[in-house]
Amino acid sequence: MVRFIIVRLIQTVVALIGIAMLIFVLVRVSGDPALMLATAASTEEDIQQIRVNLGLDKSIPEQFWIFVTDVVKGDLGKSLFKKRPVTEMIGTALPNSLKLIIPSWVLAMVGALLLGVLGATRRDGFLDNGVKFIAILGQALPGFWVAIVAVFIFSVTWQILPTSGLGGIDHYVLPVCTLGFFVLPGMMRLVRSSMLDVLDSEYIKLARIKGLSERRIIWKHALRNAVIAPLTVAGMLFAMLITGAVIIETVFSWPGIGFIIVEGVLARDFPLVQAIVIMVAVFVLGINLIVDITYAYIDPQIRYQQT
Amino acid sequence: MQEKASDSETTAKPVVSGLSRRARIMKRLTFIIPVVILSLIIFVAIFADLAWIGLPDVGLAPYDPVKMSLPDRLKPPFWDEDGSTAHLLGTDKMGRDILSRLIFGARISLSVSLLVILITSFVGTVLGILGGYLGGRTEAFLMRITDISLAFPPILVAMLLAVSMGPSFTTVVLAISLLGWAPYARLIRGETLRLREMDFVAQARVIGTSPFRIMLRHIFPNVINPLIIIMTLQVGLLIITEASLSFLGVGIPPPAPSWGNMVNDGRNLVDTAWWISTFPGIAIALVVMSGNFFGDWLRDKLDPRLRQL
Repeated sequence: MVRFIIVRLIQTVVALIGIAMLIFVLVRVSGDPALMLATAASTEEDIQQIRVNLGLDKSIPEQFWIFVTDVVKGDLGKSLFKKRPVTEMIGTALPNSLKLIIPSWVLAMVGALLLGVLGATRRDGFLDNGVKFIAILGQALPGFWVAIVAVFIFSVTWQILPTSGLGGIDHYVLPVCTLGFFVLPGMMRLVRSSMLDVLDSEYIKLARIKGLSERRIIWKHALRNAVIAPLTVAGMLFAMLITGAVIIETVFSWPGIGFIIVEGVLARDFPLVQAIVIMVAVFVLGINLIVDITYAYIDPQIRYQQT
Repeated sequence: MQEKASDSETTAKPVVSGLSRRARIMKRLTFIIPVVILSLIIFVAIFADLAWIGLPDVGLAPYDPVKMSLPDRLKPPFWDEDGSTAHLLGTDKMGRDILSRLIFGARISLSVSLLVILITSFVGTVLGILGGYLGGRTEAFLMRITDISLAFPPILVAMLLAVSMGPSFTTVVLAISLLGWAPYARLIRGETLRLREMDFVAQARVIGTSPFRIMLRHIFPNVINPLIIIMTLQVGLLIITEASLSFLGVGIPPPAPSWGNMVNDGRNLVDTAWWISTFPGIAIALVVMSGNFFGDWLRDKLDPRLRQL
């Protein structure tokens, strides 16, 4: 187990270096970041000055080394337009994003488990068809469109909920529900199909023969095994939540990470965008690492297979 | 097996067993309707105008999608009292014809999806077969990258590229492709692992076929079915991704009509001019739903084992 964790840790660090390189290259594909900062009025000397300030006059390997050491030190540079350290900007925006993402995640998970199980146990019944319908709709309707329509109905027409911004509990209802709906259908489909598989298995038959109540069989014995499948896609779920958060935060002017990255892109503020992408990359790798270790802990086969 | 098959032929059974008449009709409909919608949209996208054979003035779109006309601003669709049949689905805040923009938008959405599918399926298949067949360190390494790519939000890569290269058609295709190969690689690797253990591959190895030839001539033809299924199922996802990027302003740059930036155009006008955002939203939902249904149908037809996809 210790060996497994060490191997995985090394792999994670290697992956992180790879991603840092990729980001470094992607930001520089346009050729010269200094030209992006230059205004129409800047002279050749101004541009040269910008290059020196950004360290662009140094050789590429040197630049990469500076970039990596700065990232390790936690120094991600200053926002070009707000003139503040990007870490500070992320620091204020991140809690806002979490306030949105965590309740949505809980809502989506609870909803997916409940509806997925109900759908699977009443297969092809009225409820199951309803569940399938929600899944189809949820996967086809673009999240930003759902959010706009929701604002139109609840905030503009009925005027019962605020249109945007941070605030009291009522400000949370629309963003949390729309973000939850963004993630729910995929999860629900997964719970439903893995529940169907589990309900088919021998040990459920045994539980029935033992005379356990149906409710106990489904919610205790079957569900425990059925939730493993949705856990395996924790990484993808994270990607979906981030994507959803970027969109929902933009629609609702919610001052989180997604909102500031969109602003950053429109203002071509590359230190800010780069910093947020690096932060998300660290999160992604961290989640992968935790999921892997948890698996190896639960299932010893994985430990021996991969070391 | 043989005897059983002939047995069932003598006892006249319904073609699709286990389904009621209503369910069978529904099943047919969930195939026919999506195919009709998809063919219609592809047709419309191709014949939006005939500029590609030198006839820019002939085509299905009634107007130039980027031509502004301020006297015609914010006209509602024709069934509204103030609407007219000159602009069937109304106009936006710059007087551009919504129907024409929808039609040209279909062309953009479909060409982005098609290009991305071609690039990602190629890369994903090559990596998947290599990883699955060679095994060992290569496989472990490739699968690590695949896992990370699957967990990385493509929207962020698109933003990184948009900030350095500026938003453009190429940026969108590149950004989505950069991570989009991962689902192919994962599925194809799994299939390759299964095929590798089969007798015909072992026999090919015994007679001294080179690994490259085995992968190309023996493994690849057997992964085509799952490949086609996943390609179809990706269409919907790609259209949504492209639309989301354009909506956020990091996709297809305006004034080019993309369904995503059309929704964005009407975002602040939903209370006065609902039609600007509504029609492109419906178009996206229709295409995505059709793509998903068609993919599901294809999967049930070609390879029902892949139900989890």
